[in-house]
Amino acid sequence: MWREALDKNMKILVVDDFSTMRRIVRNLLVELGFSNPLIQEADDGENAIAMLRSQPFDLVVTDWNMPNMTGIDLLKAIRAEASLKGLPVLMVTAENNRDQIIAAAQAGVNGYIVKPFTAVTLKEKLTKIFERIAAGGVAA
Amino acid sequence: MNAAAPALAMDKDLPTELRELLNSPNGAEFEQALDAIVRQREQHMFRALGQLARDLHDAVRRLGTDLAQDGFPGNVADARQYLQDALEMSANAAHRTIDFAERMRPQAEALTINAAEMLKWSQDNEPSAVLARESVMFAEGCREGLAELVVAQSWQDLTGQRIKKVDNFIGSVESTLLELVRLTGALAGSDLPASAAKVSSQEEADRLLSEFGF
Repeated sequence: MWREALDKNMKILVVDDFSTMRRIVRNLLVELGFSNPLIQEADDGENAIAMLRSQPFDLVVTDWNMPNMTGIDLLKAIRAEASLKGLPVLMVTAENNRDQIIAAAQAGVNGYIVKPFTAVTLKEKLTKIFERIAAGGVAA
Repeated sequence: MNAAAPALAMDKDLPTELRELLNSPNGAEFEQALDAIVRQREQHMFRALGQLARDLHDAVRRLGTDLAQDGFPGNVADARQYLQDALEMSANAAHRTIDFAERMRPQAEALTINAAEMLKWSQDNEPSAVLARESVMFAEGCREGLAELVVAQSWQDLTGQRIKKVDNFIGSVESTLLELVRLTGALAGSDLPASAAKVSSQEEADRLLSEFGF
């Protein structure tokens, strides 16, 4: 049922400085029915923003704590750039303090998942993000 | 001053020369003597400060030597390397586990499909049908288990982030120690090596420490 709500041919960028975590997120996305070859990876915000500028993506799944450019700075950079500002951003992070969640919400994050998480949580958040976008809503 | 001076001049606890000075009508002589007393006191203070700086320098030197020789792991660089090793080993272990899950998943999926196909051609109570139904259940269980196995590897990310934080902490302790060495070295009168101004690599840090006798 939920798979119909999500476009399986979405181009997804997974951003995390830990290669293990990038692989776990990729596995979960494939498990949810997304196409493996359409998932790409970046190891920090700086590389992510360069990739986002050079090719189209439909979704960004990003960690918070990363060297060079953090996830929150990546989110702000995306929202500040005319060609990228509407891009859905899902934050997946071990940071679970109130202030950081508020900061992410204020910067315009579409969803926030606290690690460790399960496939069920990822599925729920992704579905919610694209349902809201389909309904013409904005970031939550 | 006018009211205080006669009162002070009468004070029996004051040194004689000071009492005499206070009573002296010669202003220039009074100023000179006062300057001499202040200078003498300043010298005492600077000597005490110098001693303090040398003691501090020695204490920091001992601390550095202890860190370099007595402990295990041998020194700060070793300790940080051990943490890096742990990070790498745990990442490799997690990747190997995910390799395994990724290798097994298509096999489980194939078993589900093949067993379901076999069920179509079997009578309900045939042994092959029983085996096919068991195979479907087993393959489904495997797929779920493998997916959970992959997600469970996020322990590497969570522990790895903590290891990185400890590594950064050791790095900041090290640079604080180096700054302390630099300051106490300067205070104790050692010539400040040019390299002490800014330390940006382990090599520079080691060189600086060796210049201060660590």
